[in-house]
Amino acid sequence: MTDRAEKPRLAVFKFTSCSGCQLPFLNMETEILDLAESIEVAYFAMAGASQPGPYDLAFVEGGISCQEDARRIRKVREESRILVAIGNCAVYGGPQALRNFLPLEELKRAVYPQPELIHCFPTCQGIADYVSVDGFLNGCPVDHGHLQDYIVSVMLGKAPEVSTRSVCLECKMKENVCLIVAEGVACMGVLTGSGCGALCPSFDRGCYGCFGPSADPNLKSFANLCRELGLTEEEIHRKFRYIVNNAEAFREEAERHVPQPVES
Amino acid sequence: MSDRRLYVDYLARMEGDGAMDIVIGENGEIKKAAWEVWEPPRFFEAFLIGRKVEEAPELVQRICGICPHAHHISSLRAMERAMGVKVSEQTRLLRELMHYSDWIMSHALHIYCLAAPDFVGYESVVAMAGNPDLLPIVGKALGAKRLGNDMIVAICGHEIQNRTSVLGGYTAVPSKATLQALKDRLKASKEFGYETAKLAAQLANAEPYKSLERKAEYVSLYDPKRYPINEGKLYSNDGFEAPDEEYPIWILEKHVPNCNCKHATLKGKGNLVVGPLMRVNNNFGTLSADARKIAAEVGFSVPCFKPFMSIVARALELVHAIDSAIELIDVLGEPKLEPIKYEYKAGESYAVTEAARGICCHGGRVDKNGVIQKYDLIAPTARNIASLEDDFRAFVPKLVNLPDDDLKLKCEMMIRNYDPCQSCATHSIKVNLHREK
Repeated sequence: MTDRAEKPRLAVFKFTSCSGCQLPFLNMETEILDLAESIEVAYFAMAGASQPGPYDLAFVEGGISCQEDARRIRKVREESRILVAIGNCAVYGGPQALRNFLPLEELKRAVYPQPELIHCFPTCQGIADYVSVDGFLNGCPVDHGHLQDYIVSVMLGKAPEVSTRSVCLECKMKENVCLIVAEGVACMGVLTGSGCGALCPSFDRGCYGCFGPSADPNLKSFANLCRELGLTEEEIHRKFRYIVNNAEAFREEAERHVPQPVES
Repeated sequence: MSDRRLYVDYLARMEGDGAMDIVIGENGEIKKAAWEVWEPPRFFEAFLIGRKVEEAPELVQRICGICPHAHHISSLRAMERAMGVKVSEQTRLLRELMHYSDWIMSHALHIYCLAAPDFVGYESVVAMAGNPDLLPIVGKALGAKRLGNDMIVAICGHEIQNRTSVLGGYTAVPSKATLQALKDRLKASKEFGYETAKLAAQLANAEPYKSLERKAEYVSLYDPKRYPINEGKLYSNDGFEAPDEEYPIWILEKHVPNCNCKHATLKGKGNLVVGPLMRVNNNFGTLSADARKIAAEVGFSVPCFKPFMSIVARALELVHAIDSAIELIDVLGEPKLEPIKYEYKAGESYAVTEAARGICCHGGRVDKNGVIQKYDLIAPTARNIASLEDDFRAFVPKLVNLPDDDLKLKCEMMIRNYDPCQSCATHSIKVNLHREK
C-alpha cells in the first residue's frame, strides 16, 4: 500500500439533484475496497467522509438553484485542483431545469401554500455558469464506467477520453436494427452524445437524449425527419424540452417549435 | 397553524442541506427539537403539468436516484388507473420483481453502509472493512448489493434509471436463462440474509437502543394475502384503513417555517410514521416463512414500537425480498414480449407503493388527449419528519446525561432509523446541540 499522504484526495459533492449520479460510486461494489487502497476518499457525505480540502479531484453532482448552492460551488472550486461536472444536473441543470421556462412566483404558488417562505433562484443551471470546470461527464445518470475511467486517467496522469460521437454510432456497433428506418420512431440517437451503449434503442425504445447533444448535431434535419414521421410542432418541442432541456442546442431547438395550446 | 391540504414537492430528500436543531433547557426539558430541511425546491409537480402522461413516470424516477423505482411504479399505476388501463399479470409480476430487487440493494446498503458503522463505532463502511473480523461480512454485504443491482439491470436495463418499463408494460423482458442465473445467486444469498438478521438483532438489542420505545401511528400498505410492495390498501396499527387511491384525502401536509419539506399528518389522527418497521408490524403474517422463522429465532416479535429495531425489520425484509424474488422468478418462467396497448382517456387517480423507506404516493388528473392537468406526489421522508421530532422529544430526555458528542450521534441514529434516503441519512446532517446553563 502506498503512503497515505501520497494518495490523491478524491471528493464528491451534491447540489440540486436526485443523488443518482453519486450512486455509481457506491455501485462499484467489486472495486470500492481496492479503490480505497490507492486513493483517499476525502469528502463524500453520502458515504460518510467529510474531510476538509484541498482536493485533487472533485466530482460534482447537481445544478445550481439557490444562493447557498452558488456559495458552495465557488468554495468547492477554490479547494479543488481538477473539478468535474457529472451528470445532466451539473452539466446542464438537469430535469428540474424544466422550471426555468416557468415564472418562479407561479411555481412557488403551485407547490407551496406559503410561497414567501421559499427562497431560490429563478433557474437551475449547470455549474459552469458559476465556476470554471475542467471536465464534463454527461448522462442522466452518469455512467459508472466513465467515472472509473476518469479516475484512472487522472491517476495515470493522462488526458481522460470523452467521446463526442453519437448514440447512432453505438447502435450500429451493436448491430441494432435502426428504429427510425424499421419502425418509424423519432429516435434522438442521431443527435445525442454517446456513452450509454445505445441503451434505449437496444430495448426497442427511441433514444430521448439523456446524454445531451452530440458534437455538431444536425437539428434541422432531425426536425424535418420528425415532421416526415408525422410529429406535430408541439411534439417536436417536447422532444427537446424533456430530460436534457437546458443544453443550449436542445433549448434553442425547442424554441423553434412553438407548442400549440391543447384542447381539453 | 391549521392543517391544510397541499401539493407536495419532493424536496424532502435534504441530502447535505438538512439541519437538526435541539435545545435543551436548564432543567433538562426539551425547548426545541427540529429537523430542518433546506434541500432546494425542484418543483416537479408544477412542471409536470402540461406534459404527456407517458412522460411522468420517466421524469419522476429522476426525483430520487435512491428509490427511482418506487416513484416510477407509483406514477405508472396512478396514470394507468386514471385512464382505466389494465396491465397484464406478467407486467405486475415483473414490476414486483423489479421493486424487490431495489429493496435488496437498498436494504443491504442501509444496514451495512449506513446504519451498522454507527452501532459498531466506525466512520464509514470502508473503515469498518479495515477490521479483519468484519471484512468477510462487509464483503458479503457488497455482494448482496451487487446482486440487487444486477437484478435491476436484468429487468430495467440500467442499474439506476429504468429503461424498459413504460406505461402499459415493458418494451423488453429478461430471458428465462438470465432469471435462472439470478435465482441461483439469490439462493446462495439466503445464508447471508440469515446472518444479517442475527447481526442486526445483536446490534439493536444493546442499551440504550432496546429500551427506547414510543408508540406511534404506524402507516403502511396492507394486503391480507400478500406482503405489500406495489399494491395494497393504506392501513395503520391504530385502526385506520382506506383505499390507496384516497391518500390525498387522508394524508395532509402543512408547510412550516425553516423547512423546505412539508410535514405530513394523518387526517383526524396526527403524526404518522412509515418504513420497514411499520410494514413488518402491519404485515408480519405475510412475510416469507423463513423471515418469520428467523424473527422468532432472533427474538423479534410484533407489535414492536422501538425505532432502533428498524435495522432488524429491514434485515427481515431483506430475507423476505430474497425469498419473494426466487418465487417470482419461478412464477414468471419464460417472460414473453407483450404488445403495449392503451388509449388516452380523461380521468383522475392516485396510487401508493412501498419504497424501501416507506410509502410513496403519486397521482393526478389527465385530459382526453393524455395531457397532465394536475400532479401530486409525496415522498416517504415527508411523512416521517414530524414523527422524528416526537422521537427527539421522547428520547433525548432519557439520554440527556450523555456527553454532547455521544448524544449527537444518538440523535443522528434516530434520523437514520427511518433511512430518510441514504444521502440524507448519513453524516451530512449538521447537528446543533445547545445546552442552556
